[in-house]
Amino acid sequence: MRIDKVLLVFRKDWAELRRNWQVVLPIVLLPLMISMSLPMILNSLSNSITMPGSALGTFEIIIRNLPYQTRREVEGMTYPQATIYMISIYLIAPVFLTIPILTSSVIASDSFAGEKERRTIEALLATPMSDAELFMGKVLVAFVPSVTITAGSSIVYSIATDLILSGLFNGRLLFPNPIWILVTFGLAPAIAIASIGLTVMISLRVKGFREAQQLSAFLMIPIMLLTFVQVSGVMILGSVIMLGSIVLFLMIDAILLYHGVEAFKRDEILSKLA
Amino acid sequence: MSSITVDGLTRRFGDLIAVDHLSFDVKEGEIFGMLGPNGAGKTTTIRMLACLISPSEGSAIIEGHDIVSDSIKIRQIVGILTETQSLYERLTVYENMAFFSEAYGVSNTDHRRERIGELLEFFDLWERRGHPVGTLSRGMKQKLAMARALVHNPSVLFLDEPTVGLDPEASRMIRDLIQKLSQHQKCTVLLCTHRLEDAERLCSRVMIVNRGRNMITGTPQELGERIAGRRTLEITLRELSESVIEAVRASRHVEAVDVNNLESKLLVTADDLDSITPEIVKDLVSAGGLITGVNITRPSLEDAYLSLIREGPT
Repeated sequence: MRIDKVLLVFRKDWAELRRNWQVVLPIVLLPLMISMSLPMILNSLSNSITMPGSALGTFEIIIRNLPYQTRREVEGMTYPQATIYMISIYLIAPVFLTIPILTSSVIASDSFAGEKERRTIEALLATPMSDAELFMGKVLVAFVPSVTITAGSSIVYSIATDLILSGLFNGRLLFPNPIWILVTFGLAPAIAIASIGLTVMISLRVKGFREAQQLSAFLMIPIMLLTFVQVSGVMILGSVIMLGSIVLFLMIDAILLYHGVEAFKRDEILSKLA
Repeated sequence: MSSITVDGLTRRFGDLIAVDHLSFDVKEGEIFGMLGPNGAGKTTTIRMLACLISPSEGSAIIEGHDIVSDSIKIRQIVGILTETQSLYERLTVYENMAFFSEAYGVSNTDHRRERIGELLEFFDLWERRGHPVGTLSRGMKQKLAMARALVHNPSVLFLDEPTVGLDPEASRMIRDLIQKLSQHQKCTVLLCTHRLEDAERLCSRVMIVNRGRNMITGTPQELGERIAGRRTLEITLRELSESVIEAVRASRHVEAVDVNNLESKLLVTADDLDSITPEIVKDLVSAGGLITGVNITRPSLEDAYLSLIREGPT
Protein backbone atom coordinates (compact mmCIF):
# COMPACT_ATOMS: atom_id res chain seq x y z
CA MET A 1 0.00 0.00 0.00
CA ARG A 2 1.43 3.38 -1.06
CA ILE A 3 0.94 6.08 1.59
CA ASP A 4 1.12 8.91 -0.98
CA LYS A 5 -1.89 7.43 -2.80
CA VAL A 6 -3.81 7.02 0.47
CA LEU A 7 -3.11 10.68 1.25
CA LEU A 8 -4.10 11.67 -2.29
CA VAL A 9 -7.56 10.12 -1.82
CA PHE A 10 -7.76 11.71 1.63
CA ARG A 11 -6.89 15.19 0.25
CA LYS A 12 -9.43 14.85 -2.57
CA ASP A 13 -12.23 13.74 -0.26
CA TRP A 14 -11.29 16.36 2.32
CA ALA A 15 -11.42 19.14 -0.31
CA GLU A 16 -14.86 17.90 -1.35
CA LEU A 17 -16.09 17.52 2.19
CA ARG A 18 -15.17 20.98 3.41
CA ARG A 19 -17.16 22.54 0.57
CA ASN A 20 -20.26 20.52 1.42
CA TRP A 21 -22.03 22.67 4.01
CA GLN A 22 -24.90 20.19 4.29
CA VAL A 23 -22.42 17.75 5.80
CA VAL A 24 -20.04 20.15 7.56
CA LEU A 25 -22.60 22.26 9.46
CA PRO A 26 -24.32 19.48 11.45
CA ILE A 27 -21.09 17.69 12.30
CA VAL A 28 -19.44 20.87 13.59
CA LEU A 29 -22.35 22.77 15.11
CA LEU A 30 -24.08 19.95 16.97
CA PRO A 31 -21.02 18.86 19.00
CA LEU A 32 -20.18 22.51 19.68
CA MET A 33 -23.69 23.18 20.96
CA ILE A 34 -23.57 20.07 23.15
CA SER A 35 -20.20 20.97 24.65
CA MET A 36 -21.27 24.58 25.35
CA SER A 37 -24.73 23.85 26.70
CA LEU A 38 -23.94 20.91 29.00
CA PRO A 39 -21.85 22.94 31.50
CA MET A 40 -24.67 25.50 31.71
CA ILE A 41 -27.22 22.74 32.36
CA LEU A 42 -24.91 21.30 35.04
CA ASN A 43 -24.71 24.71 36.69
CA SER A 44 -28.48 25.07 36.88
CA LEU A 45 -28.75 21.48 38.17
CA SER A 46 -26.31 22.27 40.95
CA ASN A 47 -28.66 25.00 42.14
CA SER A 48 -31.67 22.68 42.21
CA ILE A 49 -30.17 19.52 43.73
CA THR A 50 -31.01 20.41 47.30
CA MET A 51 -34.51 21.60 46.44
CA PRO A 52 -37.26 19.41 47.89
CA GLY A 53 -38.57 16.88 45.35
CA SER A 54 -35.50 17.14 43.09
CA ALA A 55 -35.11 14.09 40.83
CA LEU A 56 -31.40 14.12 41.62
CA GLY A 57 -32.16 13.02 45.19
CA THR A 58 -31.83 9.41 44.04
CA PHE A 59 -28.15 10.04 43.28
CA GLU A 60 -27.38 9.52 46.92
CA ILE A 61 -28.00 5.79 46.45
CA ILE A 62 -25.78 5.67 43.37
CA ILE A 63 -22.97 7.51 45.15
CA ARG A 64 -23.26 5.16 48.14
CA ASN A 65 -22.92 2.12 45.88
CA LEU A 66 -20.00 3.42 43.84
CA PRO A 67 -16.97 1.16 43.45
CA TYR A 68 -14.26 1.91 46.03
CA GLN A 69 -11.92 3.63 43.57
CA THR A 70 -14.64 5.96 42.27
CA ARG A 71 -16.05 6.64 45.75
CA ARG A 72 -12.61 7.91 46.81
CA GLU A 73 -12.83 10.58 44.10
CA VAL A 74 -15.87 12.15 45.76
CA GLU A 75 -14.66 11.79 49.33
CA GLY A 76 -14.83 15.06 51.18
CA MET A 77 -17.30 16.57 48.70
CA THR A 78 -20.70 17.89 49.66
CA TYR A 79 -23.72 16.05 48.23
CA PRO A 80 -24.33 18.65 45.43
CA GLN A 81 -20.61 18.63 44.57
CA ALA A 82 -20.47 14.82 44.43
CA THR A 83 -23.63 14.63 42.31
CA ILE A 84 -22.42 17.23 39.79
CA TYR A 85 -18.96 15.61 39.76
CA MET A 86 -20.49 12.20 38.94
CA ILE A 87 -22.71 13.63 36.20
CA SER A 88 -20.05 15.83 34.61
CA ILE A 89 -17.31 13.19 34.63
CA TYR A 90 -19.10 9.86 34.26
CA LEU A 91 -22.65 10.31 32.97
CA ILE A 92 -21.82 12.85 30.29
CA ALA A 93 -18.89 10.83 28.92
CA PRO A 94 -21.14 8.55 26.79
CA VAL A 95 -22.78 11.63 25.28
CA PHE A 96 -19.39 12.56 23.86
CA LEU A 97 -18.95 9.05 22.55
CA THR A 98 -21.90 9.64 20.23
CA ILE A 99 -19.95 12.45 18.51
CA PRO A 100 -17.40 10.20 16.74
CA ILE A 101 -20.26 7.90 15.72
CA LEU A 102 -22.34 10.75 14.36
CA THR A 103 -19.53 12.54 12.53
CA SER A 104 -17.72 9.52 11.17
CA SER A 105 -20.91 7.84 9.93
CA VAL A 106 -22.02 11.04 8.16
CA ILE A 107 -18.62 11.53 6.51
CA ALA A 108 -18.05 7.86 5.71
CA SER A 109 -21.49 7.42 4.16
CA ASP A 110 -20.98 10.58 2.09
CA SER A 111 -17.54 9.41 1.02
CA PHE A 112 -18.44 5.80 0.16
CA ALA A 113 -22.18 5.64 -0.64
CA GLY A 114 -22.25 9.32 -1.75
CA GLU A 115 -19.59 8.68 -4.36
CA LYS A 116 -21.69 5.81 -5.72
CA GLU A 117 -24.82 7.96 -5.69
CA ARG A 118 -23.13 10.88 -7.48
CA ARG A 119 -21.75 8.39 -10.00
CA THR A 120 -18.20 9.62 -9.58
CA ILE A 121 -16.88 6.28 -8.43
CA GLU A 122 -16.31 4.74 -11.86
CA ALA A 123 -13.52 7.13 -12.85
CA LEU A 124 -11.96 6.75 -9.41
CA LEU A 125 -11.98 2.96 -9.67
CA ALA A 126 -10.46 3.16 -13.15
CA THR A 127 -7.26 4.69 -11.74
CA PRO A 128 -4.27 2.46 -11.00
CA MET A 129 -4.71 2.81 -7.24
CA SER A 130 -5.27 -0.42 -5.34
CA ASP A 131 -8.51 -1.27 -3.54
CA ALA A 132 -6.70 -1.00 -0.19
CA GLU A 133 -5.31 2.47 -1.02
CA LEU A 134 -8.74 3.78 -2.00
CA PHE A 135 -10.32 2.21 1.08
CA MET A 136 -7.74 3.55 3.53
CA GLY A 137 -7.88 7.05 2.02
CA LYS A 138 -11.61 7.10 2.54
CA VAL A 139 -11.38 5.69 6.07
CA LEU A 140 -8.84 8.41 6.91
CA VAL A 141 -11.08 11.22 5.67
CA ALA A 142 -13.85 10.04 7.98
CA PHE A 143 -11.50 9.33 10.90
CA VAL A 144 -9.45 12.54 11.10
CA PRO A 145 -12.35 15.04 11.24
CA SER A 146 -14.43 12.90 13.60
CA VAL A 147 -11.56 12.49 16.08
CA THR A 148 -10.64 16.18 15.76
CA ILE A 149 -14.23 17.29 16.34
CA THR A 150 -14.59 14.95 19.32
CA ALA A 151 -11.34 16.20 20.84
CA GLY A 152 -12.31 19.81 20.17
CA SER A 153 -15.75 19.34 21.73
CA SER A 154 -14.22 17.60 24.71
CA ILE A 155 -11.74 20.43 25.24
CA VAL A 156 -14.48 23.07 24.92
CA TYR A 157 -16.64 21.11 27.39
CA SER A 158 -13.74 20.75 29.85
CA ILE A 159 -12.84 24.45 29.78
CA ALA A 160 -16.48 25.57 30.00
CA THR A 161 -17.21 23.17 32.86
CA ASP A 162 -14.13 24.30 34.80
CA LEU A 163 -15.06 27.93 34.29
CA ILE A 164 -18.78 27.62 35.06
CA LEU A 165 -18.51 25.20 37.98
CA SER A 166 -15.40 26.65 39.63
CA GLY A 167 -17.64 28.41 42.17
CA LEU A 168 -19.38 25.19 43.18
CA PHE A 169 -16.05 23.37 43.65
CA ASN A 170 -14.40 26.32 45.41
CA GLY A 171 -11.87 26.89 42.63
CA ARG A 172 -10.98 23.21 42.19
CA LEU A 173 -10.75 22.20 38.53
CA LEU A 174 -12.52 19.01 37.38
CA PHE A 175 -10.60 18.84 34.11
CA PRO A 176 -8.25 17.58 32.79
CA ASN A 177 -9.42 14.23 34.09
CA PRO A 178 -7.87 10.80 33.40
CA ILE A 179 -11.27 9.30 32.49
CA TRP A 180 -11.88 12.04 29.93
CA ILE A 181 -8.38 11.71 28.51
CA LEU A 182 -9.13 8.02 27.96
CA VAL A 183 -12.57 8.84 26.50
CA THR A 184 -11.25 11.50 24.13
CA PHE A 185 -8.00 9.99 22.97
CA GLY A 186 -8.66 6.28 23.47
CA LEU A 187 -12.26 5.17 23.33
CA ALA A 188 -13.59 7.86 20.94
CA PRO A 189 -11.03 7.12 18.17
CA ALA A 190 -11.60 3.37 18.63
CA ILE A 191 -15.38 3.88 18.37
CA ALA A 192 -14.87 6.16 15.34
CA ILE A 193 -13.01 3.40 13.50
CA ALA A 194 -15.70 0.86 14.36
CA SER A 195 -18.36 3.29 13.17
CA ILE A 196 -16.49 3.90 9.91
CA GLY A 197 -16.01 0.17 9.40
CA LEU A 198 -19.70 -0.53 9.86
CA THR A 199 -20.76 2.45 7.73
CA VAL A 200 -18.49 1.23 4.94
CA MET A 201 -20.02 -2.25 5.08
CA ILE A 202 -23.49 -0.70 4.94
CA SER A 203 -22.49 1.83 2.25
CA LEU A 204 -21.23 -0.89 -0.04
CA ARG A 205 -24.59 -2.61 0.11
CA VAL A 206 -26.90 0.38 -0.31
CA LYS A 207 -27.32 2.76 -3.24
CA GLY A 208 -27.45 6.17 -1.54
CA PHE A 209 -25.68 7.92 1.31
CA ARG A 210 -28.93 8.71 3.13
CA GLU A 211 -29.73 5.01 3.44
CA ALA A 212 -26.20 4.38 4.69
CA GLN A 213 -26.46 7.23 7.19
CA GLN A 214 -29.84 6.07 8.52
CA LEU A 215 -28.66 2.50 8.99
CA SER A 216 -25.46 3.68 10.66
CA ALA A 217 -27.58 5.42 13.32
CA PHE A 218 -28.14 1.99 14.89
CA LEU A 219 -24.60 2.30 16.23
CA MET A 220 -25.91 4.82 18.75
CA ILE A 221 -27.88 2.11 20.57
CA PRO A 222 -24.97 0.56 22.58
CA ILE A 223 -23.78 4.03 23.61
CA MET A 224 -27.27 5.02 24.77
CA LEU A 225 -27.40 1.76 26.72
CA LEU A 226 -24.15 2.70 28.42
CA THR A 227 -25.76 5.94 29.64
CA PHE A 228 -28.81 4.10 31.02
CA VAL A 229 -26.63 1.48 32.71
CA GLN A 230 -24.70 4.24 34.48
CA VAL A 231 -27.79 6.21 35.49
CA SER A 232 -29.33 3.06 36.94
CA GLY A 233 -26.17 2.53 39.01
CA VAL A 234 -25.47 -0.92 37.60
CA MET A 235 -22.04 0.09 36.30
CA ILE A 236 -19.77 3.11 36.21
CA LEU A 237 -17.45 3.86 33.29
CA GLY A 238 -14.32 3.70 35.45
CA SER A 239 -10.76 3.46 34.20
CA VAL A 240 -10.72 -0.37 34.22
CA ILE A 241 -13.95 -0.65 32.22
CA MET A 242 -12.70 2.15 29.99
CA LEU A 243 -9.42 0.37 29.22
CA GLY A 244 -11.31 -2.88 28.66
CA SER A 245 -13.70 -1.09 26.28
CA ILE A 246 -10.78 0.40 24.35
CA VAL A 247 -9.20 -3.03 23.92
CA LEU A 248 -12.57 -4.52 22.92
CA PHE A 249 -13.21 -1.78 20.37
CA LEU A 250 -9.69 -2.08 18.96
CA MET A 251 -10.35 -5.76 18.35
CA ILE A 252 -13.71 -4.92 16.72
CA ASP A 253 -11.87 -2.26 14.64
CA ALA A 254 -9.34 -4.79 13.40
CA ILE A 255 -12.12 -7.20 12.37
CA LEU A 256 -14.20 -4.49 10.70
CA LEU A 257 -11.24 -2.96 8.85
CA TYR A 258 -10.17 -6.38 7.63
CA HIS A 259 -13.67 -7.15 6.37
CA GLY A 260 -13.99 -3.60 5.00
CA VAL A 261 -10.87 -4.01 2.85
CA GLU A 262 -12.15 -7.45 1.79
CA ALA A 263 -15.58 -6.04 0.89
CA PHE A 264 -14.19 -2.98 -0.94
CA LYS A 265 -13.80 -4.64 -4.32
CA ARG A 266 -14.14 -2.75 -7.57
CA ASP A 267 -16.00 -5.66 -9.07
CA GLU A 268 -18.60 -5.77 -6.30
CA ILE A 269 -19.16 -2.00 -6.28
CA LEU A 270 -19.60 -1.64 -10.02
CA SER A 271 -21.62 -4.83 -10.42
CA LYS A 272 -24.18 -3.28 -8.10
CA LEU A 273 -24.21 -0.11 -10.23
CA ALA A 274 -24.61 -2.06 -13.48
CA MET B 1 0.25 -5.95 -34.21
CA SER B 2 -2.78 -6.40 -31.96
CA SER B 3 -3.17 -3.91 -29.15
CA ILE B 4 -6.34 -5.48 -27.76
CA THR B 5 -7.18 -9.18 -28.09
CA VAL B 6 -10.48 -10.32 -26.66
CA ASP B 7 -11.29 -14.02 -26.57
CA GLY B 8 -14.66 -15.39 -25.47
CA LEU B 9 -15.23 -12.60 -22.95
CA THR B 10 -18.38 -13.25 -20.94
CA ARG B 11 -20.00 -11.48 -18.02
CA ARG B 12 -23.03 -12.68 -16.11
CA PHE B 13 -25.02 -10.74 -13.51
CA GLY B 14 -27.02 -13.49 -11.84
CA ASP B 15 -29.15 -15.01 -14.61
CA LEU B 16 -28.51 -12.13 -16.99
CA ILE B 17 -25.75 -12.57 -19.55
CA ALA B 18 -24.59 -9.03 -20.26
CA VAL B 19 -21.66 -10.04 -22.48
CA ASP B 20 -21.76 -13.39 -24.22
CA HIS B 21 -18.51 -14.92 -25.51
CA LEU B 22 -17.33 -11.77 -27.24
CA SER B 23 -14.18 -12.09 -29.34
CA PHE B 24 -12.42 -9.41 -31.38
CA ASP B 25 -9.06 -7.79 -31.78
CA VAL B 26 -7.96 -4.22 -32.30
CA LYS B 27 -4.71 -3.29 -33.98
CA GLU B 28 -2.28 -0.75 -32.58
CA GLY B 29 -3.40 2.76 -33.53
CA GLU B 30 -6.74 1.54 -34.86
CA ILE B 31 -10.06 3.22 -34.07
CA PHE B 32 -12.45 0.35 -33.48
CA GLY B 33 -16.14 1.05 -33.05
CA MET B 34 -18.57 -0.89 -30.92
CA LEU B 35 -22.19 -0.24 -31.85
CA GLY B 36 -25.33 -1.59 -30.33
CA PRO B 37 -28.62 -0.61 -28.71
CA ASN B 38 -28.94 0.22 -25.01
CA GLY B 39 -28.24 -2.86 -22.90
CA ALA B 40 -26.24 -4.54 -25.67
CA GLY B 41 -23.25 -5.01 -23.35
CA LYS B 42 -20.98 -2.23 -24.64
CA THR B 43 -20.40 -0.54 -21.28
CA THR B 44 -19.92 -3.88 -19.50
CA THR B 45 -17.31 -4.82 -22.12
CA ILE B 46 -15.45 -1.56 -21.59
CA ARG B 47 -15.63 -2.02 -17.82
CA MET B 48 -14.10 -5.49 -18.13
CA LEU B 49 -11.35 -4.26 -20.46
CA ALA B 50 -10.58 -1.35 -18.11
CA CYS B 51 -10.30 -3.87 -15.24
CA LEU B 52 -13.22 -2.36 -13.36
CA ILE B 53 -15.13 -5.62 -13.28
CA SER B 54 -13.82 -9.10 -13.85
CA PRO B 55 -15.09 -11.41 -16.58
CA SER B 56 -17.13 -14.49 -15.69
CA GLU B 57 -15.41 -16.33 -18.55
CA GLY B 58 -12.91 -15.70 -21.31
CA SER B 59 -9.84 -13.49 -21.44
CA ALA B 60 -8.48 -10.27 -22.87
CA ILE B 61 -4.96 -9.02 -23.42
CA ILE B 62 -4.24 -5.31 -23.67
CA GLU B 63 -0.78 -4.25 -24.83
CA GLY B 64 0.49 -7.65 -23.67
CA HIS B 65 -1.12 -7.50 -20.22
CA ASP B 66 -3.86 -9.83 -19.03
CA ILE B 67 -6.94 -8.07 -17.67
CA VAL B 68 -7.29 -10.47 -14.76
CA SER B 69 -3.70 -10.95 -13.58
CA ASP B 70 -2.22 -7.56 -14.52
CA SER B 71 -5.02 -5.13 -13.80
CA ILE B 72 -2.93 -2.35 -12.18
CA LYS B 73 -0.59 -2.21 -15.20
CA ILE B 74 -3.56 -2.03 -17.57
CA ARG B 75 -5.15 0.82 -15.59
CA GLN B 76 -1.87 2.73 -15.94
CA ILE B 77 -1.84 2.57 -19.73
CA VAL B 78 -5.57 2.91 -20.38
CA GLY B 79 -7.57 6.13 -20.49
CA ILE B 80 -11.29 5.85 -20.05
CA LEU B 81 -14.20 8.14 -20.74
CA THR B 82 -17.05 6.60 -18.84
CA GLU B 83 -20.73 6.62 -19.72
CA THR B 84 -21.31 9.08 -16.85
CA GLN B 85 -18.83 11.93 -16.68
CA SER B 86 -17.67 10.92 -13.17
CA LEU B 87 -16.37 14.36 -12.23
CA TYR B 88 -16.18 15.85 -8.75
CA GLU B 89 -18.61 18.73 -8.92
CA ARG B 90 -17.41 20.51 -5.78
CA LEU B 91 -13.80 20.48 -6.93
CA THR B 92 -12.55 22.95 -9.49
CA VAL B 93 -11.69 22.02 -13.07
CA TYR B 94 -7.98 22.16 -12.21
CA GLU B 95 -8.38 20.17 -8.98
CA ASN B 96 -10.18 17.40 -10.86
CA MET B 97 -7.38 17.22 -13.40
CA ALA B 98 -4.66 17.41 -10.75
CA PHE B 99 -6.23 14.60 -8.71
CA PHE B 100 -6.55 12.22 -11.63
CA SER B 101 -3.15 13.15 -12.96
CA GLU B 102 -1.55 12.18 -9.63
CA ALA B 103 -3.74 9.10 -9.31
CA TYR B 104 -2.47 7.94 -12.70
CA GLY B 105 1.09 8.39 -11.50
CA VAL B 106 2.14 11.66 -13.16
CA SER B 107 4.36 12.45 -10.21
CA ASN B 108 6.54 15.23 -11.60
CA THR B 109 4.83 18.49 -10.59
CA ASP B 110 6.14 20.54 -13.54
CA HIS B 111 5.21 17.83 -16.03
CA ARG B 112 1.77 17.53 -14.45
CA ARG B 113 1.15 21.28 -14.55
CA GLU B 114 2.31 21.45 -18.17
CA ARG B 115 0.12 18.52 -19.26
CA ILE B 116 -2.98 19.83 -17.50
CA GLY B 117 -2.43 23.31 -18.96
CA GLU B 118 -1.99 21.85 -22.45
CA LEU B 119 -5.22 19.82 -22.22
CA LEU B 120 -7.30 22.59 -20.65
CA GLU B 121 -6.10 25.02 -23.33
CA PHE B 122 -6.95 22.53 -26.06
CA PHE B 123 -10.46 21.98 -24.72
CA ASP B 124 -11.04 25.71 -24.11
CA LEU B 125 -11.31 25.17 -20.37
CA TRP B 126 -8.23 27.04 -19.18
CA GLU B 127 -10.22 30.17 -18.36
CA ARG B 128 -12.56 28.05 -16.23
CA ARG B 129 -9.80 26.21 -14.37
CA GLY B 130 -10.66 27.80 -11.03
CA HIS B 131 -14.41 27.19 -11.31
CA PRO B 132 -16.17 24.32 -9.55
CA VAL B 133 -17.14 21.63 -12.05
CA GLY B 134 -20.75 21.90 -10.89
CA THR B 135 -20.98 25.32 -12.54
CA LEU B 136 -19.97 24.05 -16.01
CA SER B 137 -22.37 23.25 -18.83
CA ARG B 138 -22.90 19.62 -19.85
CA GLY B 139 -20.75 20.05 -22.95
CA MET B 140 -17.90 21.56 -20.92
CA LYS B 141 -18.10 18.68 -18.45
CA GLN B 142 -17.90 16.23 -21.32
CA LYS B 143 -14.78 17.99 -22.62
CA LEU B 144 -13.27 17.93 -19.14
CA ALA B 145 -14.02 14.20 -18.82
CA MET B 146 -12.27 13.70 -22.16
CA ALA B 147 -9.29 15.78 -20.97
CA ARG B 148 -9.13 13.67 -17.81
CA ALA B 149 -9.02 10.47 -19.89
CA LEU B 150 -5.93 11.84 -21.69
CA VAL B 151 -4.10 13.33 -18.71
CA HIS B 152 -1.55 10.49 -18.45
CA ASN B 153 -0.94 10.07 -22.21
CA PRO B 154 -2.59 6.63 -22.42
CA SER B 155 -1.66 4.27 -25.23
CA VAL B 156 -5.19 2.77 -25.24
CA LEU B 157 -8.39 4.78 -24.99
CA PHE B 158 -11.84 3.50 -24.14
CA LEU B 159 -14.42 6.09 -25.10
CA ASP B 160 -18.05 5.60 -24.19
CA GLU B 161 -20.16 8.09 -26.13
CA PRO B 162 -17.47 10.81 -26.41
CA THR B 163 -19.55 13.34 -28.35
CA VAL B 164 -22.76 13.06 -26.37
CA GLY B 165 -24.02 16.46 -25.16
CA LEU B 166 -21.58 18.39 -27.34
CA ASP B 167 -22.43 21.06 -29.91
CA PRO B 168 -21.43 20.35 -33.53
CA GLU B 169 -18.21 22.34 -33.25
CA ALA B 170 -17.09 20.57 -30.10
CA SER B 171 -18.10 17.19 -31.54
CA ARG B 172 -15.91 17.86 -34.54
CA MET B 173 -13.05 18.91 -32.29
CA ILE B 174 -13.30 15.61 -30.38
CA ARG B 175 -13.51 13.61 -33.62
CA ASP B 176 -10.43 15.39 -35.00
CA LEU B 177 -8.60 14.75 -31.75
CA ILE B 178 -9.43 11.04 -31.79
CA GLN B 179 -8.17 10.82 -35.37
CA LYS B 180 -4.99 12.69 -34.47
CA LEU B 181 -4.33 10.45 -31.48
CA SER B 182 -4.74 7.39 -33.65
CA GLN B 183 -2.65 8.62 -36.57
CA HIS B 184 0.16 10.53 -34.87
CA GLN B 185 0.48 8.87 -31.47
CA LYS B 186 -0.58 5.35 -32.48
CA CYS B 187 -3.12 5.43 -29.69
CA THR B 188 -5.56 2.52 -29.94
CA VAL B 189 -9.17 3.65 -29.53
CA LEU B 190 -12.19 1.54 -28.64
CA LEU B 191 -15.19 3.73 -29.33
CA CYS B 192 -18.71 2.99 -28.12
CA THR B 193 -21.28 5.20 -29.70
CA HIS B 194 -24.88 5.57 -30.73
CA ARG B 195 -23.86 8.20 -33.25
CA LEU B 196 -23.44 6.16 -36.37
CA GLU B 197 -22.01 9.10 -38.28
CA ASP B 198 -19.17 9.23 -35.72
CA ALA B 199 -18.46 5.54 -36.25
CA GLU B 200 -18.67 5.89 -40.01
CA ARG B 201 -16.29 8.85 -40.07
CA LEU B 202 -13.79 7.63 -37.50
CA CYS B 203 -13.64 3.87 -37.30
CA SER B 204 -11.60 1.66 -39.56
CA ARG B 205 -13.70 -1.27 -38.33
CA VAL B 206 -16.88 -1.56 -36.36
CA MET B 207 -18.50 -4.37 -34.43
CA ILE B 208 -22.25 -4.46 -33.95
CA VAL B 209 -23.23 -6.08 -30.66
CA ASN B 210 -26.67 -7.07 -29.48
CA ARG B 211 -27.60 -8.92 -26.31
CA GLY B 212 -23.92 -9.20 -25.49
CA ARG B 213 -23.06 -10.98 -28.73
CA ASN B 214 -20.89 -9.97 -31.65
CA MET B 215 -23.36 -9.82 -34.54
CA ILE B 216 -20.86 -8.76 -37.19
CA THR B 217 -17.49 -7.03 -37.57
CA GLY B 218 -16.09 -5.21 -40.58
CA THR B 219 -15.37 -1.84 -42.13
CA PRO B 220 -18.39 0.51 -42.15
CA GLN B 221 -18.62 0.10 -45.97
CA GLU B 222 -18.44 -3.68 -45.78
CA LEU B 223 -21.17 -3.82 -43.18
CA GLY B 224 -23.38 -1.51 -45.23
CA GLU B 225 -23.06 -3.68 -48.31
CA ARG B 226 -23.15 -7.03 -46.53
CA ILE B 227 -26.19 -6.30 -44.40
CA ALA B 228 -28.25 -3.58 -46.00
CA GLY B 229 -27.76 -4.71 -49.60
CA ARG B 230 -25.91 -3.57 -52.67
CA ARG B 231 -25.54 -0.10 -54.11
CA THR B 232 -28.46 1.16 -56.17
CA LEU B 233 -28.78 3.59 -59.06
CA GLU B 234 -31.26 6.33 -58.32
CA ILE B 235 -32.63 8.15 -61.40
CA THR B 236 -34.91 11.14 -60.95
CA LEU B 237 -37.07 12.13 -63.94
CA ARG B 238 -39.26 15.10 -64.65
CA GLU B 239 -42.12 12.71 -65.40
CA LEU B 240 -42.53 8.94 -65.20
CA SER B 241 -44.14 7.05 -68.08
CA GLU B 242 -44.59 3.35 -68.88
CA SER B 243 -42.33 3.59 -71.92
CA VAL B 244 -39.51 5.05 -69.83
CA ILE B 245 -39.87 2.37 -67.14
CA GLU B 246 -39.94 -0.38 -69.79
CA ALA B 247 -36.84 1.05 -71.44
CA VAL B 248 -34.91 0.76 -68.19
CA ARG B 249 -36.20 -2.74 -67.49
CA ALA B 250 -35.12 -3.78 -70.98
CA SER B 251 -31.57 -2.44 -70.50
CA ARG B 252 -28.83 -5.02 -70.33
CA HIS B 253 -27.65 -6.23 -66.85
CA VAL B 254 -30.55 -4.57 -65.00
CA GLU B 255 -31.80 -6.98 -62.35
CA ALA B 256 -34.67 -5.02 -60.79
CA VAL B 257 -36.37 -1.65 -61.03
CA ASP B 258 -38.30 -0.11 -58.15
CA VAL B 259 -40.62 2.73 -59.08
CA ASN B 260 -41.28 5.65 -56.78
CA ASN B 261 -44.17 7.47 -58.49
CA LEU B 262 -44.45 10.09 -55.78
CA GLU B 263 -40.92 11.43 -56.32
CA SER B 264 -40.68 10.35 -59.98
CA LYS B 265 -37.71 8.14 -59.16
CA LEU B 266 -36.46 4.81 -60.45
CA LEU B 267 -34.25 2.67 -58.21
CA VAL B 268 -32.21 0.32 -60.32
CA THR B 269 -30.41 -2.76 -58.98
CA ALA B 270 -27.64 -4.22 -61.10
CA ASP B 271 -24.12 -5.57 -60.97
CA ASP B 272 -21.26 -3.25 -61.81
CA LEU B 273 -23.30 -0.04 -61.71
CA ASP B 274 -20.27 2.11 -62.51
CA SER B 275 -19.92 0.72 -66.04
CA ILE B 276 -23.59 0.23 -66.98
CA THR B 277 -24.96 3.57 -65.73
CA PRO B 278 -24.12 5.46 -68.98
CA GLU B 279 -25.91 2.75 -71.01
CA ILE B 280 -29.04 2.98 -68.87
CA VAL B 281 -29.04 6.79 -69.13
CA LYS B 282 -28.69 6.52 -72.93
CA ASP B 283 -31.63 4.05 -73.14
CA LEU B 284 -33.75 6.37 -71.00
CA VAL B 285 -33.04 9.43 -73.11
CA SER B 286 -33.80 7.42 -76.27
CA ALA B 287 -37.16 6.45 -74.77
CA GLY B 288 -37.98 10.16 -74.26
CA GLY B 289 -37.19 10.38 -70.53
CA LEU B 290 -36.23 13.81 -69.18
CA ILE B 291 -33.59 13.12 -66.50
CA THR B 292 -33.11 15.61 -63.67
CA GLY B 293 -30.73 13.58 -61.53
CA VAL B 294 -28.60 10.42 -61.44
CA ASN B 295 -27.04 9.13 -58.24
CA ILE B 296 -25.44 5.88 -57.10
CA THR B 297 -26.40 5.34 -53.47
CA ARG B 298 -24.36 3.27 -51.06
CA PRO B 299 -26.13 1.58 -48.11
CA SER B 300 -24.97 3.40 -45.00
CA LEU B 301 -23.76 1.99 -41.72
CA GLU B 302 -27.04 3.23 -40.31
CA ASP B 303 -28.98 1.05 -42.79
CA ALA B 304 -26.82 -1.90 -41.83
CA TYR B 305 -27.17 -1.25 -38.12
CA LEU B 306 -30.93 -0.85 -38.22
CA SER B 307 -31.34 -3.87 -40.44
CA LEU B 308 -29.24 -6.00 -38.11
CA ILE B 309 -30.80 -4.82 -34.87
CA ARG B 310 -34.39 -5.07 -36.13
CA GLU B 311 -34.23 -8.23 -38.18
CA GLY B 312 -31.05 -10.06 -37.20
CA PRO B 313 -28.19 -10.85 -39.57
CA THR B 314 -28.98 -11.54 -43.23
